[in-house]
Amino acid sequence: MTVLRRIAGKLGGLLLTLFLASLLVFFSRFLVPGDPVAFLLRGRKPSPEAVAQITAQYGLDLPPWQQYLHWAAGIFQGDLGRSLQYRQDVTVVLAERLPVTLGLVVMAGTMIAVVGLIAGAAAALYRGRIADRSILIGLTVLGAIPSFVGSIVLIAVFAVQLGWFPSFGSGEGFWDTVYHLVLPSTALAIVFVVLVGKVTRSSMIDQLDREHVEVAISRGMKRGTVVRRHVFRNAVGPILTVSGMLVAGLLVASSVVEAAFGLAGIGSLLVQSVDRLDFPVVQAIVLLVVIAFVLVNAVIDVLEPWIDPRSAAGAGAR
Amino acid sequence: MTAPHSVLGTAGTGSPAASASTGLLDVRDLTLDLADGTRLLHGITLRVAAGETVGLVGESGSGKSLTARTVLGLLPARAVTTGDVELDGTGVLTASAQELRRLRRRTAAMIFQDPRAGINPMRTIGDHLTEALRLAEGWSADAARARAVELLEAVRLPRPEDHLRQYPHEFSGGMLQRVMIAGALTTSPKLLVCDEPTTALDVTTQAEIIGVLAEQRASRGMGMLFITHDLNLAASLCDRVYVMSGGHVVEQGQARVVLRDPKAEYTRRLVAATPMLAGVAPGALASAADGGHISGVIVRHAGQQHPFTGASSSISETVRAVGTDAGGSAVSAPPMLEAAGVSKTYHRRGKEPVRAVVAASVAVPRGGAVGVVGESGSGKSTLARMIVGLESADSGDIRIDGRERTAVPRSRRERLAHARSVQMVFQDPYLSLDPRITAGRAIEDALRLHGAGGGGRRRGAADARARVLDLLDQVGLGEKHAAARPRTLSGGQRQRVAIARALAVEPDVLVMDEATSALDVSVQAQVLDLVDSIRRERGLTVLFISHDLAVVRRVCDETVVMRRGEIVERGRTAGLLADPQHEYTRLLIDSVPKPGWDAEAAAVELEAADLDAGGADRSADADDVVADDADDAESAAVEAASAAASGQAR
Amino acid sequence: MTPTPTLAVTVMRAPRRPRAGLTFAIALGVLAAMTLAAIFAPFLAPYNPDAVDFAAVNAGPSSAHWLGTDGLGRDTLSRLIYGARTALLGPLLVVVASTVLGILLGLLAGWRGGWVDAALGRVFDVLFAFPSLLIAIMAVALFGKGLAAPVIAMSIAYAPFVARLTRSLIAAERSRPYVAAYRVQGFGGAWIALRRVLPNVTPIVGAQSTLNFGYVLAELAALSFLGLGVQPPTADWGAMINESQAGLLGGHFLPAIVPAVAVVVVVVAVNIIGEELSDRIGGGSRS
Repeated sequence: MTVLRRIAGKLGGLLLTLFLASLLVFFSRFLVPGDPVAFLLRGRKPSPEAVAQITAQYGLDLPPWQQYLHWAAGIFQGDLGRSLQYRQDVTVVLAERLPVTLGLVVMAGTMIAVVGLIAGAAAALYRGRIADRSILIGLTVLGAIPSFVGSIVLIAVFAVQLGWFPSFGSGEGFWDTVYHLVLPSTALAIVFVVLVGKVTRSSMIDQLDREHVEVAISRGMKRGTVVRRHVFRNAVGPILTVSGMLVAGLLVASSVVEAAFGLAGIGSLLVQSVDRLDFPVVQAIVLLVVIAFVLVNAVIDVLEPWIDPRSAAGAGAR
Repeated sequence: MTAPHSVLGTAGTGSPAASASTGLLDVRDLTLDLADGTRLLHGITLRVAAGETVGLVGESGSGKSLTARTVLGLLPARAVTTGDVELDGTGVLTASAQELRRLRRRTAAMIFQDPRAGINPMRTIGDHLTEALRLAEGWSADAARARAVELLEAVRLPRPEDHLRQYPHEFSGGMLQRVMIAGALTTSPKLLVCDEPTTALDVTTQAEIIGVLAEQRASRGMGMLFITHDLNLAASLCDRVYVMSGGHVVEQGQARVVLRDPKAEYTRRLVAATPMLAGVAPGALASAADGGHISGVIVRHAGQQHPFTGASSSISETVRAVGTDAGGSAVSAPPMLEAAGVSKTYHRRGKEPVRAVVAASVAVPRGGAVGVVGESGSGKSTLARMIVGLESADSGDIRIDGRERTAVPRSRRERLAHARSVQMVFQDPYLSLDPRITAGRAIEDALRLHGAGGGGRRRGAADARARVLDLLDQVGLGEKHAAARPRTLSGGQRQRVAIARALAVEPDVLVMDEATSALDVSVQAQVLDLVDSIRRERGLTVLFISHDLAVVRRVCDETVVMRRGEIVERGRTAGLLADPQHEYTRLLIDSVPKPGWDAEAAAVELEAADLDAGGADRSADADDVVADDADDAESAAVEAASAAASGQAR
Repeated sequence: MTPTPTLAVTVMRAPRRPRAGLTFAIALGVLAAMTLAAIFAPFLAPYNPDAVDFAAVNAGPSSAHWLGTDGLGRDTLSRLIYGARTALLGPLLVVVASTVLGILLGLLAGWRGGWVDAALGRVFDVLFAFPSLLIAIMAVALFGKGLAAPVIAMSIAYAPFVARLTRSLIAAERSRPYVAAYRVQGFGGAWIALRRVLPNVTPIVGAQSTLNFGYVLAELAALSFLGLGVQPPTADWGAMINESQAGLLGGHFLPAIVPAVAVVVVVVAVNIIGEELSDRIGGGSRS
C-alpha cells in the first residue's frame, strides 16, 4: 500500500501548492502601494454609498486574513466575486466565455499531441538521417513562431489572401465554430507542437540508447515491436510530465490568439479586464489557471505508478 | 591477414578438433569499420565447435565485445564489414532481416554484462521472458508462461511463479543475471554468447552464476563464446581461448596452455599482470611470505634497503600468528593507524536501520600495508570513509600516529590536521578528479592549502611548481601531464594524478579505496607497483580496500576480511590465503576462478557451504538464493544508505 | 565492480552529429547585427520612428521607404530598427536577473539540501503553477502597463527554472568523488561549493539561459501585442504587429509581416546559439 501513500503524499503536496498559490493570488493586491480598497476601485468614481456597499459586500474593512478566508470560502461555494465592468457575478461572466476557450484548447491540444508525438518519434527513429535533420530544422523554425506571429501570418495568408477561413469571431453552432477555430487553434498549437516534439524526440533517443532495447533485438524480435514495447513505452513518462506543464501555458497563450481573432473567450476576457481595471475577474482567471494546472498534475501523479513501476516502490528512476 | 606478434597455432585453425567446416560459429577475417572510417576489428578469425566453450579474452578496447555482438548481427549504425561470420552454416553479415531474426531466436543468444540495464525496468520479468515467444514465435500466453517457469527453475530461482509478476528493481544483481540467462535460453539456442556476465557481480555471486552457466551448458550441450577480461576465469571455464588486443587476435590455443605458457608478447604481459591467489606474489613485502609462516618480530631501522628484495625496511613489523583474531600481539611501536571498536549504523525513514560497520578494529603498523577485503555491503568502504573523516563513527576510536581522529573535522584547523594524517585515493578514476582543473593545478591546490613542508610556511609559486613536477615524476608522469585536463588522460594516468595529489599533502596514512578496481589488468599492475614502490621509499602506511583477494595479496602484508559490517578474520595475507579459518573467507577464496578450477564442483561446494545440515537438494538451493537475496538486499541497502549519507555529508 | 561501458557499447551508442558550424556563425551574425542596430538606431534609421505622414499611409516598398509605411505613414524600417531596442533589452534584463537569482537559489538548495531545499522546492512549485506570461499579465494588472512591471515579474517567473536546473546539477556534483576528494584534502565546504563546483555547473546553466532569451522575447512581444506592454507610440515589434492588424484586412501585409519576421529571425538565431552552446558545453566538459 505504499503506492497509495505515495500518491496521497503527492496530492497533498499539490493541494499545498494550490493553497500557497491562492495566497499569492489574493494578497498580490496588497503589494501595490496605497490603499487596497482604492486599488480595487481605480479608474472608477463610485458614489460613497456604492463604496460602502462594495466594502460591505467584499468585507474590505475586515483584516486581510479574514478577507482571504471570506474569498476562499466563497470559491468553494462557486462564488468568484463580482465583476466591476459587467456588474455581474464573475462566475456567470466566465461561464459565458468558457466554451470558446475550451474548444480552442481542445482543438489545439489534439493537434499538439498528434503532430508533436509523430514528429518527435519519427525524428528519434531516423536519428542522424535526413528525416531527423529536416524535422529538427522544421521544429527550430516553428518554435520561433509565437502565437501572435502565427495568428497574423495565418490571417494574412489563409483568411485575407486565400479566403479559406474566417478571421474573426467564433461562429454559430458546432461545426461553424470548429471551422472558425481552425486558424486560431493552429496558431496556438505551433509553439507547443515544438515543445512536445522535442521532448518526445529526446526521450525516445534516450530510450533507444538503453541496453534493454539491444537485448530485446538480440532475442530476435522485429524492430517495430521492440520500438513499440520498449522504446515508446519507456519514453512516455517525461513526455507526460512536460505535457502536464503545458496545459496551463495553453490557457494563457489563448489570450493572445483570442485577441488576434476577436474570440470572446476567457483569454480575451483576461486582457480586457486588465485593461479595464476589473481586478476581481483577473484574480478569478488567474486562480482558474492555477487550479487547472494542479488538476492536470494530480491526474499525472495518479497515473505515474502505471507509467513507471519503479516509482511506485520508491526506487529511483533511471 | 595476421597482425604482427600474433601466434595462431597450427594450421591457422587452432585446435584440430574444430577443423570441420560445420563448426557452430565460424568467423573468418572479420573487419569492422565505423561510419567515419575508423577500423575497430582487423581481420578476426575464430571458431566455435558444437558443444565447445571458447573464451575471448582482452582488456578494454580490445574489440572482444564488438566481435561478440557481430555474431548476432548487432553492429554499430552504418558500420562496414568484410569477411564472413557463419552461424550454423548461415552467413550473419549477409542475412536478410528475417533470417537474422530467426538466427537470433533459434540459433544463438546473448547474455549481457549489466542485467539491470538489459531488462526493461518498466515491464515485469514474466514479460521479459515470454515476449519473444509470444510475439515472434506465436506461442500462446499459457505455453509461454509455462516455459518461463521452467527456465526460472532451471536457473535455480526459488519462486518462479511469483517472480513472473515482479519487476526488475525488486531483484538483486545476481538474481537478475539469472533471469537474463533464463531469457536467453527460452528457445534453446545452440550457441550462447556471454559478454562479461559476471564482471558487475560480487565474487561469490559470480561463482554461482558461473555454476548456473556450466550446468546449463552441460545439460543442453550448448556451445559457448565467453567474453571476459579475467584470464583466470577464462582458463577455468573454457576449452580454448583467443586473446585479443586492439582489434587483433594475438594468440589462441588451449586455455590452460595459454595461461601457463603464453607465447605472444601481449599475452605474456597480461599473464604477468594478472593478480593470482597462488604462486609467487610479486612485490609483496616479506619475501618469504609465499605460503610460509613468519614468526617473531622483525624490527629494522628506518631507511635501510634490503639488498635482495629491494624492500624498504622503514617499518616495524608486527606479526600475528596465522588465523588468530585481534588482540594479544607483540608490538614494538604503536601502530600508525588504529581503529578500535568502530561502528556505524544508518537510519532510514520507514525502514530497518542498516548496520554498516559493527565494532571493527584494525591496526596498521608504521609503514605497513593492510588490506580490507569484502564484497558489496561488507562495510569496508564505510570504514574507509570514517577513517578519512567523510563520515562520523557512532562509536569507537580512530587514531592516526597516536592522534585522535575519530570525529569528522569541522574547523579549518581540524580539517587540515585530519588531511595531513590521512589521504585517500578513490575508486573511480573518471569522477575523482575535477574535470575542469588540470592535473598540475589539482596537485598545486593541495600543496598550497597545506603550505607544505614543516611549520606551514607558504611556498612561492616557482617552488610549488617545482614540487608539482617532482610529484608527477614520482608517480611516473611527465611535465606535459601537468597541463592536461582529466578528460585527456587515461584511467591509469588519472589514478596516478590522484596518488600524486594525495602525496602532496604528505599524509601519514594513505587509504586506497578500490583504487584499481576500475582499471584494466595491465594498468592495475602498474599502479599497484607504483603504490608498492612509493610505500617502500617513503615508509608510507597504506590501508588497501578491495573486493579482490588477489590484488590485496600483491600489496598487503596483512589482510582483514569483512562481511556485513563485521570483521570475520584477520591475519598475515599469505597465511590467510593458505589456511583460512572462517568459513566466509574460505567461501571467498573458493569463489575466485583459478585455472584448474572445476566450475561445477565449486558450485556444489558453494551449496554445501551454506547448508546447516548436509545434503544438496532444492530447498538448499532456495536457502542459498534466499540468503543471497537478503545479502544482496542488505548490501544494496548499505550502499544506498551510505550513498545517501555521503551526499548529505557536509 | 560497476560495469564500465565496453568499447562496443560506447561505439554503438554514439552516432556523431555533424558540426553545424555555418548555421551557428550565421545565427551569431544575425544577433550581432540586431544588437548593433539597436545600439546605433539613431544613426541607422532613415526617419524618426514617430514621424507620421498621412500622405504616405500603408505605402509599399519604395526608394523613399524601403519597407514601406504603416497605417499612420510611419517608416517601417525605422520603426523596425528602433524596435530592436525594446525587443532585445527586455529579454536581456530578464535573463540576466533570472539567471543570477536562479543560480544563487539553486546553489543554496542543491548544496545545503535538507529543509532549505525542501522549503525552496515548495516556493518553486508554487511559481511553476503560474505560466510566465500569466505572471507578467498579473504584474501589469497590479502595477500598470509598460515594460518595467513585466520585466521584473518575468525575472521572478524564470528564476525557478534556472534554480531547478542548478539545484539538480549541484546535487549531482556534490555526490561525485572529486568533491569528497576535496574534503579529504582539507578544503572547506563553502570553498568547494563556490570555487570548484559552481564553476563546473554555470556553463551548462548559462547555455540553458540563452534558450530562455528566446522565450522571454516572444512573451514580452506578445504582451506588447496585447497592448499591455510597450505602449504606443513607442516602436516595438509586438506593438507594431498589434497596430497593423487593421491594415491586414485591407491587404496591407507589410507593416505586420516585417516585425513578425524580425521576431522569428531573432528567436531562431538565439535558439540555434543556445542549443549549440548547450550541446558543446553540456556534452564536452563531462567525460
